[in-house]
Amino acid sequence: MIKAIHNYIIFLRRCVKIAFVGDWRYYAWMGLLTTIVLLGINAYCKQFVNGLIVTGMSDEVSWGVYIANFTFLVGVAAAAVMLVIPVYIYRNEELYDLVIFGELLSVAAILMCLAFVTVDLGRPDHFWHLIPGIGQFNFPASMLSWDVLVLNGYLLLNLHICGYLLYSRYCGRKPSPWFYIPFVFTAIAWAISIHTVTAFLYVGLGGRPFWNSSIVGPRFLASAFTAGPSLIILALQVIRHVTLYKISDKALLTLRSIVQVSMIINVFLLLNELFKEFYTGTVHVASLKYLFFGLHGHHALVPWIWTAITFNLSAMVMLVLPVSRSLKWLNVACVLSIVGIWIEKGMGMVIPGFTPTTLGEIIEYHPSANETLVCLGIWAFGLLCYTIFLRMAVPILQGQLSRANEGSDHLTTQPPPKVVADFHF
Amino acid sequence: MAYNKKTGVVLAVLFTVFALLTAAFSLDLWGKPAPVKQLPLVNKELLKTETWRRSYADLVKDKEPLDDFDCYTCHEEGKKQVLKFDDKNQLVIPDEHKDVVMGHGTHGRNNNCFNCHIDDKLNELQTRDGRSLKFEESTQLCGSCHGPTLRDWEAGSHGRTSGYWNRALGPFKKQDCVNCHNPHSPKFPGRKPAPAPNHLRESSGGPEPTPIKD
Amino acid sequence: MDSQPNDTPTPAPPDMNRRGFLRTSAMFAAGAAALTASLKPLLQLKDFTSVDKFLQKYYKEMTPEDMEKVLKRIADDVERQYQVRPHVRDLKPMDGVEFVYALNLTRCIGCRKCVHACVKENNQSRSPEIQYIRVLKMPHGSLDVEKSEHNYSPEAVPEKGFFYMPVQCQQCRNPPCVKVCPVHATWQEKDGITVIDYDWCIGCRYCMAACPYGARHFNFTKPTIPADRLNPEMAYLGNRPRSMGVTEKCHFCVQRTRAGRYPACVEVCPAGARKFGNILDPESEVSKILSTKRVFIQLKEELGTSPRFFYYFDV
Repeated sequence: MIKAIHNYIIFLRRCVKIAFVGDWRYYAWMGLLTTIVLLGINAYCKQFVNGLIVTGMSDEVSWGVYIANFTFLVGVAAAAVMLVIPVYIYRNEELYDLVIFGELLSVAAILMCLAFVTVDLGRPDHFWHLIPGIGQFNFPASMLSWDVLVLNGYLLLNLHICGYLLYSRYCGRKPSPWFYIPFVFTAIAWAISIHTVTAFLYVGLGGRPFWNSSIVGPRFLASAFTAGPSLIILALQVIRHVTLYKISDKALLTLRSIVQVSMIINVFLLLNELFKEFYTGTVHVASLKYLFFGLHGHHALVPWIWTAITFNLSAMVMLVLPVSRSLKWLNVACVLSIVGIWIEKGMGMVIPGFTPTTLGEIIEYHPSANETLVCLGIWAFGLLCYTIFLRMAVPILQGQLSRANEGSDHLTTQPPPKVVADFHF
Repeated sequence: MAYNKKTGVVLAVLFTVFALLTAAFSLDLWGKPAPVKQLPLVNKELLKTETWRRSYADLVKDKEPLDDFDCYTCHEEGKKQVLKFDDKNQLVIPDEHKDVVMGHGTHGRNNNCFNCHIDDKLNELQTRDGRSLKFEESTQLCGSCHGPTLRDWEAGSHGRTSGYWNRALGPFKKQDCVNCHNPHSPKFPGRKPAPAPNHLRESSGGPEPTPIKD
Repeated sequence: MDSQPNDTPTPAPPDMNRRGFLRTSAMFAAGAAALTASLKPLLQLKDFTSVDKFLQKYYKEMTPEDMEKVLKRIADDVERQYQVRPHVRDLKPMDGVEFVYALNLTRCIGCRKCVHACVKENNQSRSPEIQYIRVLKMPHGSLDVEKSEHNYSPEAVPEKGFFYMPVQCQQCRNPPCVKVCPVHATWQEKDGITVIDYDWCIGCRYCMAACPYGARHFNFTKPTIPADRLNPEMAYLGNRPRSMGVTEKCHFCVQRTRAGRYPACVEVCPAGARKFGNILDPESEVSKILSTKRVFIQLKEELGTSPRFFYYFDV
């Protein structure tokens, strides 16, 4: 038992060590991210001292880019399941190792979500009030309490699955199905739930007719399964380029078909929303009018949403046509999808819910410079985490970092030992 | 570890960047939060809870001089006062009473002093059903025509109530009609409202929303 | 079959030498220095929290002794900050009381005296401005708040063609804010008032998103109250000065109403448009209004909030 813990600590130490080691591209990338993170920390300290007045939020628009980013990233985290389903349910072996890359992205995304929610709190020092048992946890009435549970649970699930699979590979052992298969299947259902719960945060508010609509949940899932796999497609190509880890084009094209279908559903749901509001023409169409056309002379969001719509439609067209089988165009489509959905789900979802206000006012929202720095800092932190996870995971998967070569502190050019690990179902 | 020239350059650049950041953070080079705009405090007059007018009963209670209500310092006792009307049948207010502006009822329907006052007993008031009232009882006079309002006033639904809602714990005050209404011109005059709300973020672009005249 | 480990590993970089080690360490050291320096703004943190405040229990779990200590701490803090010794109490709801508010829309003239009387009574921040009551200028013929105007400032009110509708916390029977608060920092008490434990609120602002009446307000920074306008008669769940980062709202002047008095807005209204009382007492003004008036309404009642705030008219 002690030996097992000792071995595990050695493993962790080696993982940490390797995170500080790399070539000039690694240092440049990590240095850039660290710089942005430091700027973000500094900006957050200013917010901590002076209060949320340093952001652009107000009584009328009381949630802004922090919650917008949170919403988008919960979707990205849920999308890891889009790799898990083909591998474990449809037995698509092509994507096998990629599941780990997808789940590591989920972990990074969840960490970013937790960071965004924390920086949004007015009294983060009261955070312990949320801990079930110690504080006062308003479960099951408050959807935010559900969110706390499902997000942290999802984080633990993914950490366990990745950690177990990677450690097994490190030890040269075949992972025992009992320790990960049930968790994987739980993760599939759980991933859907994290994004549904986040959608329900908005849907359950009768006072906000823009959000109080049954289409929000399905729309969230459709856009998550578009943006998430798009991010993974891009990330996998980066991994392929930087580490020479073999990732076949077939894997990327499987992901492409997921993005394709999800984007079509996303656009279809958008058309549903537009018809319902604009055709019926009740008073509640005000928020959508504000978003698409401006209202009473206020039109800050209009260029944003039309950009998003253009990007999404272009991406959909590209994805449907065979031209996106070529990686160059696929990447363009992915970038367009990610940006389009980020705008649509973030600013295009949160801000119109508050505009006009419940008493009919229009107060516009513009993120402040400080707020933007904090957001960039958290994004950089997430990318930092993901890079570190990959920096640990890829050598393990390639056999370079394994129990067998624990003796040597330096990574040598010796060929890796033949690894016995072979995943069976 | 890769130790080629490129890494060396990158490390040197990063070192410089971090050193510059350290200096920049220590010197607070940017992002000093703007001081909160100090808004003017509201005029204390607007916070007063006293009524706009004081009734005869208030004056009596506060033992203030009641000369204004002693009609017979000028008028002759027992003599019937006669009203003057102009050619449009509108009441002509004599100069001695020019502070009274008649505006009781639309189209000058109530412009006859002796609808409420008594022409030969100026220190009392009369109702249309023949009751004689003292000035302190003026509320009953108003109520003799404004029945539903009197009913509401008695229930506490019309007019300001102040003090304790829980009458067991303390005193409760109901105002007289004349505490708020000028009996000769009872409709409230327009008043300047207290300042409009100041929003934390002024909305940019476009005029303030105006009511849509559909 | 890619389930075999990758056969083409990333070429391992050559070993590091002493110069490289020094340079890398120097970079990491500079990074650590930058990290420490980035935290510099925290040095300006004053009066943010103390061990007692951090560990303070939830209101409903406090014993009377706990509450005594907390009230004394609050009084000390206020005295230190404003040089005024306040009288802070924890008033409990009375039995047999359910508060209801009735507002006569025929009578409101839109003078906004209620707004400012409330601000004074409840120690709201003057800069940035927090006001629990918002008076809506509505055009004749509609209760659609989107047609309202909030910033009217004419020479004289009331203006022809409009009526005025003040909106504040409706103390709903089915409050959405209570439902969504993740830490139970806001709840409804026995007498119908929805209260907030300001020391428990985490400032997530979900309640503000949930409220259909815009009744909840957030302290985006440390509130500013001029010391000469501080109201020293305070209640724990009511008008004691709030900290930055928590939500507040109308609580029917809990420090007055639980002592049997009218709220400040009722006291100051020059037109007598505001009525308040115990609906469980058939002799109260509000009972009489709700049992005799033919027309009275609740705002946005289709949302199922069941407000305890009624707007009535003179018939």
